[in-house]
Amino acid sequence: MARRTLVFAALLAALAAAVVASLALGAVKVPFSEVIDVLLGNGSGGPEQQIVETLRLPRTVEALVVGAALGIAGAILQGALANPLASPDVIGVTGGAGFGAILIIIAFPGSIALLPVGALFFGLLAAALVFAFAWSGANRGSVGKVILAGIAVLSLFTAATTGLLAAYPERAPSAIFFIAGGLTSSGWDEMQTIWPYFAAGFACALLLIRPLDRLALGDDVAASLGSRPHLIRLGAAVSAALLAAASAAIAGLLGFLGLVVPHVVRMAGGTSSHTFVVPASAIGGAALLAAGDTLARTLRAPIEMPVGPFMVVLGVPLFLWLLRKAV
Amino acid sequence: MEAATQLAAPPLEGRGVEVEIGGVPILRGADLRLDHGRLVAIVGPNGAGKSTLVRAVSGLQGTCGGAVHWSGREIGEMRGRDLARVRAFVPQRMSVPAGVSVREAVTIGRSSHLRPLRRLTGTDRDAIGGAMERAGVTRFAERALTTLSGGELQRVQIAIGLAQEAPVLIADEPTSQLDLGATVGVATLLRQLVDDGLTVLLVVHDLALAAAVADTAVVVSAGRTVATGRPAEVLDPARLAEVWGADARLTEHDGRTALHVAWLEQPKKH
Repeated sequence: MARRTLVFAALLAALAAAVVASLALGAVKVPFSEVIDVLLGNGSGGPEQQIVETLRLPRTVEALVVGAALGIAGAILQGALANPLASPDVIGVTGGAGFGAILIIIAFPGSIALLPVGALFFGLLAAALVFAFAWSGANRGSVGKVILAGIAVLSLFTAATTGLLAAYPERAPSAIFFIAGGLTSSGWDEMQTIWPYFAAGFACALLLIRPLDRLALGDDVAASLGSRPHLIRLGAAVSAALLAAASAAIAGLLGFLGLVVPHVVRMAGGTSSHTFVVPASAIGGAALLAAGDTLARTLRAPIEMPVGPFMVVLGVPLFLWLLRKAV
Repeated sequence: MEAATQLAAPPLEGRGVEVEIGGVPILRGADLRLDHGRLVAIVGPNGAGKSTLVRAVSGLQGTCGGAVHWSGREIGEMRGRDLARVRAFVPQRMSVPAGVSVREAVTIGRSSHLRPLRRLTGTDRDAIGGAMERAGVTRFAERALTTLSGGELQRVQIAIGLAQEAPVLIADEPTSQLDLGATVGVATLLRQLVDDGLTVLLVVHDLALAAAVADTAVVVSAGRTVATGRPAEVLDPARLAEVWGADARLTEHDGRTALHVAWLEQPKKH
């Protein structure tokens, strides 16, 4: 028990540090005291307050929400499918969202504001296709069926995306930032459109924590306790699809985060109980994305690099180190 | 009147239960009755439909014919939560997730009593502690499931079922993968639970074991229940030959049971 408390404390400390760094650092360095003053509403009213309030605060909030969403999406999918390789990729969301975004970038470059909506729509459409095939017929909702349907739909959308990029190679460069995954300083606009999907996904995930613990002991134990295993898996997949599609709409394709963060917190906490793994993955994902995004825009400021590759650089060594120690 | 019939109704009654899986009939008409405080053993050859029968009456497997009633209530009208309160189902082998302790697993067994997002109450903690005590797993409560032996794991599964605090415990071949000592331990535990007032329905392969622990044996053959009664009476040589195709005889002496088998002879038709 003490070990979990320790992990939570460490994660919260990392989160706090990442938030402060994200607000203070960038092309313009804002003093720590000024950041605190702005947050408390006593800003000096100068350009630094402007930068923090209109650029960095929305961006930091986006990093926290998207990081938490992807961490949770990975945690509940890995739990629901009892498969360590599960991530939003597996239920087709990433492939669909990528296609939706690239379609807007390439076919409707004049309506780039529609990109989040396109990513969200096709992300959810891909997940809906997976659900339609995996939750029908004999053995509906079985782990194998979900994963196979997911991989098939993912391949379909990946092929469509590649086809689009090959057909319009001159527009491909603008798609790279989305595919790599990264946040932008575009204020609150995107969040204002997308937040209900995050809210629904988070609420659904919260209700799934206990059913997922039952499912961890097997379908029969879950059924003995009055749950319907295939409905738990469906709920988890819907929740993960909402969170991952909304995340892709804001920050592009950051699939790595959803795969790795839950494993890291499981290994660090020494338990796979969802009452621990789900909240810890949320905090860990938020901290990792906020830290990665800060690095991505400070290392070669004022040039911003996509956060996706940076998170991989930050996360993989930690992951491999933990993996080596794990039994 | 309604309440009176429900009081008089047995905890579990199944009549003419039929199950098809993928278009193949598995159960073609099975009858089963469970009375309070009794241990009923379901026996039969491989593929006869024993597991399907207990899964069907537990609500884990849909039926396509017949009727199942729990204390007079039709199973189709009961929600998952209602079923969780009348019976606990202990599978042959549960999934064993990494990084979950015995106490956490038994706590999960309590979760049918909890409202979403609510914490455990003192009553819940007592029920969890009591279930672990009765199943004899308190000694290794903090160990991870992945470190347990087969016998210990089976006791944990029973503890998970007991934490549910349902009046009926249904166990599907709890001893089939255990060594002799662990089998004796689990058999003693189940009998003790029945003597303390629990009602137990058991799927079991070992006929000598069934004869020793069960009040009633139900013989399933080719998807039908073909006999129900005291184990010693139901499992006579004629039935052993007919249902299992073996020349064998069950004996009972001083609380010890044995199955005498002519291992290398073709059964004589009686």
